[in-house]
Amino acid sequence: MHIKEHPILGEQLNKPITIYLNEQPLEAYDNQSIAGALMANNVKKLGQSRKLVQARGMFCSKGRCCSCYMTVDGEDHVKTCMRKVRDGMKISEGLEDPELRRDIDEG
Amino acid sequence: MDKSVIVCRCEEISYEEIEEVITQGGRTFDDIKRITRCGMGACQSKICSKLVAEVIHKQTELSMEQIYPPRFRMPISPVSLEALATDSQQFSTVKSVLDEIELTDGKVK
Amino acid sequence: MKADVLIIGAGPAGLTAAYEVAKTGLCVLIIDEHQQAGGQLWQQSQILALPDIFPNMRGFELAQFLVERLEGLAVEWLLGHRVIGVYEDGQIGVTNDKDVFPVFAEKIIIATGAAENAIPFPKWTLPGVMTIGAAQSVVNRDRVKPGSSAVIYGDNSFASDVCELLLSVEVNIVAIVKQNKQLGNSTFGDMNIPLYENSSIIEARGNGKLEEIDIQTPHGMITLKPDIVLIDGGQSPILDIVYQLDCALRYQAELGGWLPVYNHQLQTSKDHVYVTGNATGVSNHSALILTGMLAAASVCEALQSLPPEETEVVRNSLYSKLENEEESDTFSARKEHIKQFSTPQLKDQFIS
Repeated sequence: MHIKEHPILGEQLNKPITIYLNEQPLEAYDNQSIAGALMANNVKKLGQSRKLVQARGMFCSKGRCCSCYMTVDGEDHVKTCMRKVRDGMKISEGLEDPELRRDIDEG
Repeated sequence: MDKSVIVCRCEEISYEEIEEVITQGGRTFDDIKRITRCGMGACQSKICSKLVAEVIHKQTELSMEQIYPPRFRMPISPVSLEALATDSQQFSTVKSVLDEIELTDGKVK
Repeated sequence: MKADVLIIGAGPAGLTAAYEVAKTGLCVLIIDEHQQAGGQLWQQSQILALPDIFPNMRGFELAQFLVERLEGLAVEWLLGHRVIGVYEDGQIGVTNDKDVFPVFAEKIIIATGAAENAIPFPKWTLPGVMTIGAAQSVVNRDRVKPGSSAVIYGDNSFASDVCELLLSVEVNIVAIVKQNKQLGNSTFGDMNIPLYENSSIIEARGNGKLEEIDIQTPHGMITLKPDIVLIDGGQSPILDIVYQLDCALRYQAELGGWLPVYNHQLQTSKDHVYVTGNATGVSNHSALILTGMLAAASVCEALQSLPPEETEVVRNSLYSKLENEEESDTFSARKEHIKQFSTPQLKDQFIS
Protein backbone atom coordinates (compact mmCIF):
# COMPACT_ATOMS: atom_id res chain seq x y z
CA MET A 1 0.00 0.00 0.00
CA HIS A 2 1.23 3.50 -0.84
CA ILE A 3 1.45 5.80 2.17
CA LYS A 4 -0.26 8.98 0.99
CA GLU A 5 -0.02 10.83 4.29
CA HIS A 6 3.19 10.06 6.13
CA PRO A 7 2.79 10.94 9.83
CA ILE A 8 6.17 12.68 10.04
CA LEU A 9 7.31 13.37 6.51
CA GLY A 10 3.96 14.58 5.22
CA GLU A 11 2.83 14.24 1.64
CA GLN A 12 5.18 13.26 -1.12
CA LEU A 13 3.41 10.90 -3.49
CA ASN A 14 2.04 13.51 -5.86
CA LYS A 15 3.03 12.34 -9.31
CA PRO A 16 1.31 9.04 -10.17
CA ILE A 17 2.80 7.00 -12.99
CA THR A 18 2.20 3.56 -14.48
CA ILE A 19 4.69 0.73 -14.53
CA TYR A 20 4.17 -2.69 -16.11
CA LEU A 21 4.96 -5.98 -14.42
CA ASN A 22 4.70 -8.72 -17.06
CA GLU A 23 2.48 -6.35 -19.10
CA GLN A 24 0.13 -5.79 -16.16
CA PRO A 25 -0.22 -2.07 -15.33
CA LEU A 26 0.51 -1.06 -11.73
CA GLU A 27 0.26 2.28 -9.95
CA ALA A 28 3.51 3.82 -8.80
CA TYR A 29 4.72 7.29 -7.87
CA ASP A 30 7.62 9.32 -9.14
CA ASN A 31 10.76 8.90 -7.02
CA GLN A 32 9.88 5.45 -5.67
CA SER A 33 12.30 2.58 -6.14
CA ILE A 34 11.04 -0.23 -8.36
CA ALA A 35 11.10 -2.70 -5.46
CA GLY A 36 9.21 -0.25 -3.23
CA ALA A 37 6.57 0.47 -5.88
CA LEU A 38 6.03 -3.26 -6.43
CA MET A 39 5.73 -3.82 -2.69
CA ALA A 40 3.00 -1.15 -2.61
CA ASN A 41 1.13 -3.29 -5.13
CA ASN A 42 1.58 -6.32 -2.89
CA VAL A 43 4.23 -7.86 -5.15
CA LYS A 44 6.95 -9.23 -2.88
CA LYS A 45 8.42 -11.95 -5.09
CA LEU A 46 10.80 -10.21 -7.46
CA GLY A 47 12.58 -13.17 -8.95
CA GLN A 48 14.06 -16.61 -8.54
CA SER A 49 17.31 -17.81 -7.06
CA ARG A 50 20.04 -18.93 -9.42
CA LYS A 51 20.46 -22.54 -8.43
CA LEU A 52 17.49 -23.81 -6.44
CA VAL A 53 14.97 -21.65 -8.34
CA GLN A 54 13.29 -20.32 -5.22
CA ALA A 55 11.35 -17.10 -4.72
CA ARG A 56 13.39 -14.01 -3.86
CA GLY A 57 12.43 -10.50 -2.85
CA MET A 58 14.03 -7.35 -1.54
CA PHE A 59 16.30 -8.01 1.44
CA CYS A 60 18.81 -5.24 2.22
CA SER A 61 17.38 -2.30 0.21
CA LYS A 62 20.89 -0.81 0.02
CA GLY A 63 22.09 -2.24 -3.27
CA ARG A 64 24.33 -4.81 -1.62
CA CYS A 65 22.61 -8.20 -1.46
CA CYS A 66 21.42 -8.42 -5.11
CA SER A 67 18.33 -10.31 -3.90
CA CYS A 68 16.04 -7.86 -5.74
CA TYR A 69 17.44 -8.45 -9.24
CA MET A 70 14.81 -8.06 -11.99
CA THR A 71 14.74 -7.45 -15.72
CA VAL A 72 13.90 -3.80 -16.42
CA ASP A 73 13.28 -2.50 -19.93
CA GLY A 74 15.23 -5.42 -21.33
CA GLU A 75 18.19 -5.04 -18.95
CA ASP A 76 18.85 -8.13 -16.81
CA HIS A 77 20.07 -8.08 -13.21
CA VAL A 78 18.89 -4.61 -12.27
CA LYS A 79 18.99 -3.89 -8.54
CA THR A 80 15.39 -2.78 -8.15
CA CYS A 81 15.92 -1.36 -4.65
CA MET A 82 18.26 1.24 -6.14
CA ARG A 83 16.65 2.00 -9.52
CA LYS A 84 13.81 4.55 -9.56
CA VAL A 85 10.55 3.91 -11.41
CA ARG A 86 9.82 5.73 -14.67
CA ASP A 87 6.47 6.09 -16.42
CA GLY A 88 5.87 3.18 -18.78
CA MET A 89 8.72 1.08 -17.38
CA LYS A 90 8.49 -2.62 -18.31
CA ILE A 91 9.54 -5.00 -15.57
CA SER A 92 9.73 -8.78 -15.35
CA GLU A 93 11.01 -11.22 -12.76
CA GLY A 94 14.69 -12.01 -12.42
CA LEU A 95 15.17 -15.59 -13.61
CA GLU A 96 17.43 -18.41 -12.56
CA ASP A 97 20.66 -19.19 -14.45
CA PRO A 98 20.09 -20.41 -17.99
CA GLU A 99 20.88 -24.07 -18.53
CA LEU A 100 23.85 -23.58 -20.78
CA ARG A 101 24.52 -27.26 -21.27
CA ARG A 102 20.99 -27.86 -22.51
CA ASP A 103 21.26 -24.90 -24.85
CA ILE A 104 24.52 -26.25 -26.24
CA ASP A 105 23.12 -29.78 -26.62
CA GLU A 106 20.03 -28.53 -28.41
CA GLY A 107 21.91 -25.92 -30.42
CA MET B 1 21.43 -24.10 13.97
CA ASP B 2 19.46 -26.17 11.45
CA LYS B 3 21.99 -27.71 9.01
CA SER B 4 19.85 -27.01 5.97
CA VAL B 5 19.87 -23.24 6.44
CA ILE B 6 21.22 -21.31 3.46
CA VAL B 7 24.22 -19.22 4.54
CA CYS B 8 25.27 -17.83 1.15
CA ARG B 9 22.07 -16.51 -0.45
CA CYS B 10 23.54 -15.97 -3.92
CA GLU B 11 25.17 -19.35 -4.51
CA GLU B 12 22.75 -21.10 -2.13
CA ILE B 13 25.37 -22.80 0.02
CA SER B 14 24.05 -24.43 3.19
CA TYR B 15 25.44 -24.61 6.71
CA GLU B 16 26.00 -28.32 6.12
CA GLU B 17 28.16 -27.73 3.03
CA ILE B 18 30.31 -25.23 4.92
CA GLU B 19 30.61 -27.57 7.88
CA GLU B 20 31.76 -30.34 5.51
CA VAL B 21 34.66 -28.18 4.26
CA ILE B 22 35.64 -27.42 7.85
CA THR B 23 35.58 -31.15 8.66
CA GLN B 24 38.00 -31.65 5.77
CA GLY B 25 40.38 -29.07 7.26
CA GLY B 26 39.09 -25.79 5.83
CA ARG B 27 39.84 -22.93 8.20
CA THR B 28 39.37 -19.71 6.21
CA PHE B 29 36.58 -18.10 4.24
CA ASP B 30 38.68 -18.50 1.13
CA ASP B 31 39.07 -22.27 1.75
CA ILE B 32 35.29 -22.56 1.88
CA LYS B 33 34.90 -20.29 -1.12
CA ARG B 34 37.27 -22.34 -3.29
CA ILE B 35 35.51 -25.60 -2.54
CA THR B 36 31.84 -24.58 -2.45
CA ARG B 37 31.55 -21.27 -4.40
CA CYS B 38 30.25 -19.72 -1.17
CA GLY B 39 30.61 -15.94 -1.52
CA MET B 40 31.23 -16.05 -5.27
CA GLY B 41 27.77 -14.96 -6.39
CA ALA B 42 26.31 -11.60 -7.29
CA CYS B 43 26.82 -9.93 -3.91
CA GLN B 44 30.44 -11.14 -3.62
CA SER B 45 30.13 -12.19 0.05
CA LYS B 46 28.75 -8.85 1.27
CA ILE B 47 25.97 -10.65 3.15
CA CYS B 48 27.56 -14.00 4.06
CA SER B 49 31.14 -13.09 5.08
CA LYS B 50 30.22 -12.55 8.72
CA LEU B 51 27.86 -15.56 8.78
CA VAL B 52 30.54 -17.88 7.42
CA ALA B 53 33.02 -16.54 10.00
CA GLU B 54 30.50 -17.42 12.71
CA VAL B 55 30.20 -20.99 11.38
CA ILE B 56 34.00 -21.39 11.33
CA HIS B 57 34.17 -19.91 14.84
CA LYS B 58 31.54 -22.37 16.13
CA GLN B 59 33.11 -25.41 14.49
CA THR B 60 36.77 -24.76 15.26
CA GLU B 61 38.93 -23.43 18.04
CA LEU B 62 39.47 -20.21 16.07
CA SER B 63 38.42 -16.88 17.58
CA MET B 64 36.67 -14.29 15.40
CA GLU B 65 39.86 -12.23 15.03
CA GLN B 66 41.66 -15.26 13.64
CA ILE B 67 39.10 -15.62 10.85
CA TYR B 68 40.01 -13.12 8.15
CA PRO B 69 37.40 -11.57 5.89
CA PRO B 70 37.36 -12.93 2.32
CA ARG B 71 39.25 -11.17 -0.43
CA PHE B 72 37.30 -8.34 -2.01
CA ARG B 73 38.26 -8.12 -5.65
CA MET B 74 37.54 -5.56 -8.27
CA PRO B 75 34.87 -4.63 -9.23
CA ILE B 76 33.54 -4.25 -5.71
CA SER B 77 29.94 -4.01 -6.90
CA PRO B 78 28.39 -5.40 -10.09
CA VAL B 79 29.05 -3.35 -13.22
CA SER B 80 28.18 -4.23 -16.79
CA LEU B 81 30.93 -5.45 -19.11
CA GLU B 82 29.84 -2.72 -21.48
CA ALA B 83 30.71 -0.05 -18.91
CA LEU B 84 33.97 -1.79 -17.99
CA ALA B 85 35.00 -2.04 -21.61
CA THR B 86 34.66 1.70 -22.24
CA ASP B 87 36.26 2.29 -25.60
CA SER B 88 38.37 5.26 -24.72
CA GLN B 89 42.03 6.22 -24.78
CA GLN B 90 41.65 8.23 -21.62
CA PHE B 91 39.59 5.70 -19.66
CA SER B 92 42.00 2.78 -19.39
CA THR B 93 39.43 0.38 -18.09
CA VAL B 94 40.71 -3.01 -19.19
CA LYS B 95 43.53 -2.50 -16.72
CA SER B 96 41.01 -2.00 -13.96
CA VAL B 97 39.63 -5.49 -14.39
CA LEU B 98 42.75 -7.38 -15.37
CA ASP B 99 45.47 -5.56 -13.55
CA GLU B 100 48.14 -7.85 -14.97
CA ILE B 101 47.60 -6.22 -18.36
CA GLU B 102 49.96 -3.31 -18.83
CA LEU B 103 48.71 -0.39 -20.84
CA THR B 104 50.72 2.16 -22.77
CA ASP B 105 48.79 5.12 -24.14
CA GLY B 106 45.55 3.29 -23.51
CA LYS B 107 46.63 0.23 -25.53
CA VAL B 108 47.74 -3.18 -24.33
CA LYS B 109 51.55 -3.42 -24.50
CA MET C 1 39.40 13.87 -12.75
CA LYS C 2 41.32 15.53 -9.91
CA ALA C 3 40.68 16.98 -6.48
CA ASP C 4 42.67 17.82 -3.37
CA VAL C 5 40.45 15.57 -1.30
CA LEU C 6 38.20 12.75 -2.46
CA ILE C 7 35.39 11.78 -0.10
CA ILE C 8 33.78 8.40 -0.71
CA GLY C 9 30.26 8.38 0.71
CA ALA C 10 27.88 11.33 1.12
CA GLY C 11 26.30 10.35 4.43
CA PRO C 12 26.51 12.43 7.62
CA ALA C 13 30.25 11.76 8.18
CA GLY C 14 31.26 12.38 4.56
CA LEU C 15 29.21 15.58 4.25
CA THR C 16 30.57 16.89 7.56
CA ALA C 17 34.14 16.15 6.47
CA ALA C 18 33.46 17.84 3.11
CA TYR C 19 32.36 21.04 4.82
CA GLU C 20 35.29 21.17 7.21
CA VAL C 21 37.80 20.52 4.42
CA ALA C 22 36.21 22.81 1.82
CA LYS C 23 35.93 25.78 4.18
CA THR C 24 39.74 25.87 4.48
CA GLY C 25 39.89 26.46 0.72
CA LEU C 26 40.72 22.96 -0.48
CA CYS C 27 38.91 21.46 -3.43
CA VAL C 28 36.69 18.51 -2.51
CA LEU C 29 35.13 15.82 -4.67
CA ILE C 30 32.32 13.72 -3.17
CA ILE C 31 31.25 10.39 -4.64
CA ASP C 32 28.05 8.60 -3.72
CA GLU C 33 26.11 5.75 -5.24
CA HIS C 34 22.79 7.54 -4.74
CA GLN C 35 21.52 10.40 -6.87
CA GLN C 36 20.84 12.38 -3.72
CA ALA C 37 23.44 13.24 -1.07
CA GLY C 38 22.62 12.45 2.57
CA GLY C 39 23.02 8.68 2.68
CA GLN C 40 20.81 6.81 5.11
CA LEU C 41 19.75 10.09 6.77
CA TRP C 42 16.94 10.44 4.24
CA GLN C 43 15.22 7.39 5.62
CA GLN C 44 15.73 8.37 9.27
CA SER C 45 12.61 10.11 10.52
CA GLN C 46 13.57 9.84 14.19
CA ILE C 47 15.02 12.76 16.16
CA LEU C 48 18.78 12.34 16.42
CA ALA C 49 21.02 13.20 19.33
CA LEU C 50 23.73 15.41 17.85
CA PRO C 51 26.82 17.23 19.16
CA ASP C 52 26.00 20.51 20.90
CA ILE C 53 27.09 22.54 17.85
CA PHE C 54 23.86 21.37 16.17
CA PRO C 55 20.26 21.65 17.33
CA ASN C 56 18.60 18.24 17.61
CA MET C 57 16.78 17.37 14.43
CA ARG C 58 15.40 14.46 12.47
CA GLY C 59 17.59 12.48 10.07
CA PHE C 60 16.19 13.93 6.85
CA GLU C 61 16.44 17.45 8.27
CA LEU C 62 20.11 16.87 9.06
CA ALA C 63 20.69 15.63 5.49
CA GLN C 64 19.17 18.81 4.11
CA PHE C 65 21.21 20.96 6.50
CA LEU C 66 24.52 19.24 5.71
CA VAL C 67 23.96 19.47 1.95
CA GLU C 68 22.84 23.10 1.98
CA ARG C 69 25.83 24.06 4.11
CA LEU C 70 28.12 23.09 1.20
CA GLU C 71 26.63 25.62 -1.21
CA GLY C 72 29.18 28.17 -2.37
CA LEU C 73 32.17 26.05 -1.33
CA ALA C 74 34.62 24.35 -3.71
CA VAL C 75 32.77 21.04 -3.70
CA GLU C 76 32.25 18.90 -6.77
CA TRP C 77 29.74 16.06 -6.80
CA LEU C 78 29.78 12.68 -8.45
CA LEU C 79 26.33 11.49 -7.41
CA GLY C 80 25.00 8.29 -8.95
CA HIS C 81 28.63 7.12 -9.18
CA ARG C 82 30.26 4.12 -7.55
CA VAL C 83 33.85 3.33 -6.71
CA ILE C 84 34.56 -0.09 -8.17
CA GLY C 85 38.27 -0.45 -7.55
CA VAL C 86 41.72 1.03 -7.43
CA TYR C 87 44.19 1.41 -10.29
CA GLU C 88 47.75 0.26 -10.00
CA ASP C 89 48.96 3.87 -9.76
CA GLY C 90 46.61 4.53 -6.83
CA GLN C 91 43.89 6.32 -8.76
CA ILE C 92 40.34 5.41 -7.84
CA GLY C 93 38.18 3.68 -10.45
CA VAL C 94 34.72 5.21 -10.62
CA THR C 95 31.72 4.24 -12.72
CA ASN C 96 28.38 5.81 -13.55
CA ASP C 97 27.35 2.56 -15.27
CA LYS C 98 28.24 4.04 -18.67
CA ASP C 99 31.96 4.70 -18.31
CA VAL C 100 34.68 3.76 -15.88
CA PHE C 101 37.18 6.50 -15.22
CA PRO C 102 40.06 7.26 -12.84
CA VAL C 103 39.97 9.91 -10.14
CA PHE C 104 43.14 11.29 -8.59
CA ALA C 105 43.20 12.95 -5.19
CA GLU C 106 45.98 13.94 -2.79
CA LYS C 107 43.99 12.54 0.12
CA ILE C 108 41.06 10.17 0.34
CA ILE C 109 38.49 10.16 3.13
CA ILE C 110 36.48 6.96 3.37
CA ALA C 111 32.98 7.54 4.67
CA THR C 112 31.24 4.43 3.38
CA GLY C 113 29.48 3.70 6.66
CA ALA C 114 28.19 0.40 7.89
CA ALA C 115 25.90 -2.32 6.56
CA GLU C 116 23.34 -4.41 8.41
CA ASN C 117 24.19 -7.93 9.51
CA ALA C 118 21.90 -10.85 8.80
CA ILE C 119 20.55 -13.55 11.13
CA PRO C 120 19.87 -16.67 9.06
CA PHE C 121 17.16 -19.26 9.71
CA PRO C 122 15.64 -21.89 7.40
CA LYS C 123 13.85 -20.14 4.50
CA TRP C 124 15.07 -16.67 5.44
CA THR C 125 15.44 -16.19 1.70
CA LEU C 126 11.64 -15.98 1.27
CA PRO C 127 10.27 -12.66 0.00
CA GLY C 128 8.97 -10.79 3.05
CA VAL C 129 12.07 -11.47 5.14
CA MET C 130 14.21 -8.34 5.06
CA THR C 131 16.48 -6.24 7.23
CA ILE C 132 14.90 -3.77 9.61
CA GLY C 133 16.70 -0.96 7.78
CA ALA C 134 15.04 -2.10 4.56
CA ALA C 135 11.61 -1.72 6.17
CA GLN C 136 12.55 1.75 7.35
CA SER C 137 13.69 2.80 3.90
CA VAL C 138 10.55 1.40 2.24
CA VAL C 139 8.37 3.48 4.57
CA ASN C 140 10.39 6.69 4.58
CA ARG C 141 12.01 6.72 1.16
CA ASP C 142 9.41 4.98 -0.99
CA ARG C 143 6.36 5.86 1.18
CA VAL C 144 5.16 2.30 1.03
CA LYS C 145 3.89 -0.08 3.72
CA PRO C 146 6.23 -3.08 3.63
CA GLY C 147 3.50 -5.39 4.97
CA SER C 148 0.55 -5.50 7.29
CA SER C 149 1.93 -7.53 10.19
CA ALA C 150 5.57 -7.75 11.22
CA VAL C 151 7.83 -9.78 13.49
CA ILE C 152 11.10 -8.10 14.46
CA TYR C 153 14.00 -10.48 15.02
CA GLY C 154 17.21 -9.41 16.70
CA ASP C 155 19.00 -8.02 19.66
CA ASN C 156 19.58 -4.42 18.77
CA SER C 157 18.26 -1.15 20.05
CA PHE C 158 17.57 0.19 16.59
CA ALA C 159 14.26 -1.69 16.78
CA SER C 160 12.40 0.77 19.00
CA ASP C 161 12.64 3.69 16.54
CA VAL C 162 11.49 1.50 13.69
CA CYS C 163 8.68 -0.01 15.83
CA GLU C 164 7.27 3.46 16.41
CA LEU C 165 7.58 4.27 12.73
CA LEU C 166 5.83 1.07 11.63
CA LEU C 167 3.02 1.52 14.14
CA SER C 168 2.53 5.08 12.93
CA VAL C 169 1.86 3.84 9.40
CA GLU C 170 -0.43 1.10 10.70
CA VAL C 171 1.82 -1.90 10.35
CA ASN C 172 0.85 -4.27 13.14
CA ILE C 173 3.85 -5.61 15.10
CA VAL C 174 2.96 -9.14 16.12
CA ALA C 175 6.06 -9.89 18.17
CA ILE C 176 9.67 -9.02 18.90
CA VAL C 177 11.94 -12.06 19.08
CA LYS C 178 15.32 -11.71 20.78
CA GLN C 179 17.95 -14.42 20.96
CA ASN C 180 19.51 -13.23 24.19
CA LYS C 181 17.97 -12.79 27.59
CA GLN C 182 17.80 -9.29 28.96
CA LEU C 183 15.18 -8.10 31.37
CA GLY C 184 12.72 -10.94 31.37
CA ASN C 185 9.97 -8.59 30.20
CA SER C 186 7.06 -10.01 28.29
CA THR C 187 6.23 -6.85 26.38
CA PHE C 188 8.41 -4.36 24.53
CA GLY C 189 8.72 -0.81 25.89
CA ASP C 190 5.43 0.93 26.47
CA MET C 191 4.10 -0.21 23.12
CA ASN C 192 2.54 -3.38 24.47
CA ILE C 193 4.16 -5.61 21.85
CA PRO C 194 4.71 -9.28 22.87
CA LEU C 195 8.41 -9.88 23.49
CA TYR C 196 10.04 -13.31 23.31
CA GLU C 197 13.50 -13.37 24.82
CA ASN C 198 15.98 -16.22 24.74
CA SER C 199 14.07 -17.32 21.66
CA SER C 200 14.78 -17.85 18.00
CA ILE C 201 12.98 -18.27 14.70
CA ILE C 202 13.55 -21.88 13.76
CA GLU C 203 11.76 -21.95 10.43
CA ALA C 204 9.86 -19.77 7.98
CA ARG C 205 7.35 -21.16 5.52
CA GLY C 206 5.43 -19.86 2.55
CA ASN C 207 4.62 -20.39 -1.06
CA GLY C 208 6.50 -17.71 -3.00
CA LYS C 209 6.40 -15.38 0.00
CA LEU C 210 6.54 -15.47 3.78
CA GLU C 211 3.36 -16.89 5.34
CA GLU C 212 4.29 -18.24 8.76
CA ILE C 213 7.16 -18.73 11.17
CA ASP C 214 7.94 -21.10 14.03
CA ILE C 215 9.55 -19.56 17.10
CA GLN C 216 11.28 -21.64 19.74
CA THR C 217 10.72 -19.97 23.11
CA PRO C 218 11.78 -21.15 26.58
CA HIS C 219 8.13 -22.11 27.10
CA GLY C 220 7.71 -24.14 23.94
CA MET C 221 7.21 -23.56 20.25
CA ILE C 222 4.76 -21.06 18.82
CA THR C 223 3.67 -20.39 15.26
CA LEU C 224 2.89 -16.86 14.05
CA LYS C 225 1.62 -15.63 10.70
CA PRO C 226 3.31 -12.29 9.94
CA ASP C 227 3.75 -11.22 6.32
CA ILE C 228 7.12 -9.63 7.03
CA VAL C 229 10.04 -10.56 9.29
CA LEU C 230 12.48 -7.73 9.95
CA ILE C 231 15.99 -8.83 10.86
CA ASP C 232 17.82 -6.56 13.30
CA GLY C 233 21.31 -8.07 13.38
CA GLY C 234 23.27 -4.92 14.14
CA GLN C 235 25.76 -3.31 11.77
CA SER C 236 29.35 -3.78 10.66
CA PRO C 237 31.67 -1.33 8.91
CA ILE C 238 31.70 -1.70 5.12
CA LEU C 239 35.14 -2.96 4.13
CA ASP C 240 35.04 -3.16 0.32
CA ILE C 241 36.93 0.02 -0.42
CA VAL C 242 39.43 -0.03 2.46
CA TYR C 243 40.28 -3.60 1.47
CA GLN C 244 40.81 -2.56 -2.17
CA LEU C 245 43.05 0.29 -1.02
CA ASP C 246 45.14 -2.30 0.82
CA CYS C 247 44.55 -0.67 4.21
CA ALA C 248 45.56 -2.97 7.08
CA LEU C 249 42.71 -4.33 9.20
CA ARG C 250 42.05 -5.35 12.79
CA TYR C 251 39.14 -7.07 14.48
CA GLN C 252 37.36 -5.09 17.18
CA ALA C 253 34.10 -6.74 18.23
CA GLU C 254 32.80 -3.68 20.06
CA LEU C 255 33.19 -1.53 16.91
CA GLY C 256 31.36 -3.99 14.66
CA GLY C 257 34.04 -6.52 13.65
CA TRP C 258 36.79 -6.07 11.05
CA LEU C 259 37.76 -2.52 10.30
CA PRO C 260 40.79 -0.58 9.04
CA VAL C 261 43.43 0.27 11.62
CA TYR C 262 43.70 4.01 12.14
CA ASN C 263 45.74 6.37 14.30
CA HIS C 264 44.82 9.43 16.37
CA GLN C 265 44.49 11.38 13.09
CA LEU C 266 42.01 8.78 11.74
CA GLN C 267 44.67 8.01 9.15
CA THR C 268 44.84 4.39 7.96
CA SER C 269 47.99 2.34 7.26
CA LYS C 270 48.05 4.03 3.85
CA ASP C 271 49.29 7.57 4.46
CA HIS C 272 46.91 9.24 2.03
CA VAL C 273 43.79 7.39 3.19
CA TYR C 274 41.67 8.52 6.16
CA VAL C 275 38.46 7.04 7.58
CA THR C 276 35.45 8.58 9.26
CA GLY C 277 31.94 7.80 10.50
CA ASN C 278 30.72 4.24 10.90
CA ALA C 279 33.70 3.08 8.83
CA THR C 280 35.77 3.81 11.98
CA GLY C 281 33.45 1.64 14.07
CA VAL C 282 29.69 1.51 14.42
CA SER C 283 28.50 4.27 16.75
CA ASN C 284 25.82 6.95 17.17
CA HIS C 285 25.03 10.04 15.08
CA SER C 286 27.13 12.34 17.27
CA ALA C 287 30.15 10.16 16.58
CA LEU C 288 29.48 10.29 12.83
CA ILE C 289 29.62 14.08 12.89
CA LEU C 290 32.58 14.31 15.28
CA THR C 291 34.71 11.75 13.43
CA GLY C 292 33.82 13.58 10.20
CA MET C 293 35.32 16.73 11.72
CA LEU C 294 38.31 14.80 13.10
CA ALA C 295 39.25 13.22 9.76
CA ALA C 296 38.79 16.58 8.05
CA ALA C 297 41.05 18.37 10.53
CA SER C 298 43.81 15.81 10.00
CA VAL C 299 43.53 16.00 6.22
CA CYS C 300 43.67 19.81 6.35
CA GLU C 301 46.74 19.61 8.58
CA ALA C 302 48.45 17.22 6.15
CA LEU C 303 47.64 19.48 3.20
CA GLN C 304 48.71 22.54 5.19
CA SER C 305 45.41 24.36 5.05
CA LEU C 306 45.32 24.30 8.86
CA PRO C 307 48.39 25.05 11.02
CA PRO C 308 49.51 22.10 13.19
CA GLU C 309 49.06 23.92 16.54
CA GLU C 310 45.51 24.91 15.68
CA THR C 311 44.72 21.39 14.45
CA GLU C 312 45.92 19.89 17.69
CA VAL C 313 43.59 22.16 19.68
CA VAL C 314 40.67 21.31 17.40
CA ARG C 315 41.44 17.60 17.61
CA ASN C 316 41.68 17.57 21.39
CA SER C 317 38.38 19.34 21.75
CA LEU C 318 36.71 16.93 19.29
CA TYR C 319 38.05 13.89 21.14
CA SER C 320 36.77 15.18 24.46
CA LYS C 321 33.33 15.78 22.88
CA LEU C 322 33.46 12.28 21.41
CA GLU C 323 34.25 10.82 24.80
CA ASN C 324 31.14 12.52 26.21
CA GLU C 325 28.76 11.71 23.41
CA GLU C 326 29.73 8.19 22.45
CA GLU C 327 28.78 5.09 24.49
CA SER C 328 31.65 4.52 26.90
CA ASP C 329 32.25 0.94 25.67
CA THR C 330 32.48 2.19 22.10
CA PHE C 331 34.87 4.99 23.04
CA SER C 332 37.13 2.61 24.99
CA ALA C 333 37.18 0.19 22.07
CA ARG C 334 38.07 3.06 19.76
CA LYS C 335 40.94 4.12 22.03
CA GLU C 336 42.17 0.52 22.12
CA HIS C 337 41.87 0.29 18.32
CA ILE C 338 43.97 3.45 17.91
CA LYS C 339 46.55 2.07 20.34
CA GLN C 340 46.86 -1.09 18.22
CA PHE C 341 47.43 0.94 15.03
CA SER C 342 50.88 -0.51 14.38
CA THR C 343 49.84 -4.14 15.02
CA PRO C 344 47.21 -4.98 12.40
CA GLN C 345 45.97 -8.56 12.11
CA LEU C 346 45.58 -8.46 8.34
CA LYS C 347 47.86 -6.50 6.01
CA ASP C 348 49.31 -6.68 2.49
CA GLN C 349 46.23 -8.68 1.54
CA PHE C 350 47.02 -8.55 -2.18
CA ILE C 351 50.50 -10.05 -1.82
CA SER C 352 50.14 -13.81 -1.94
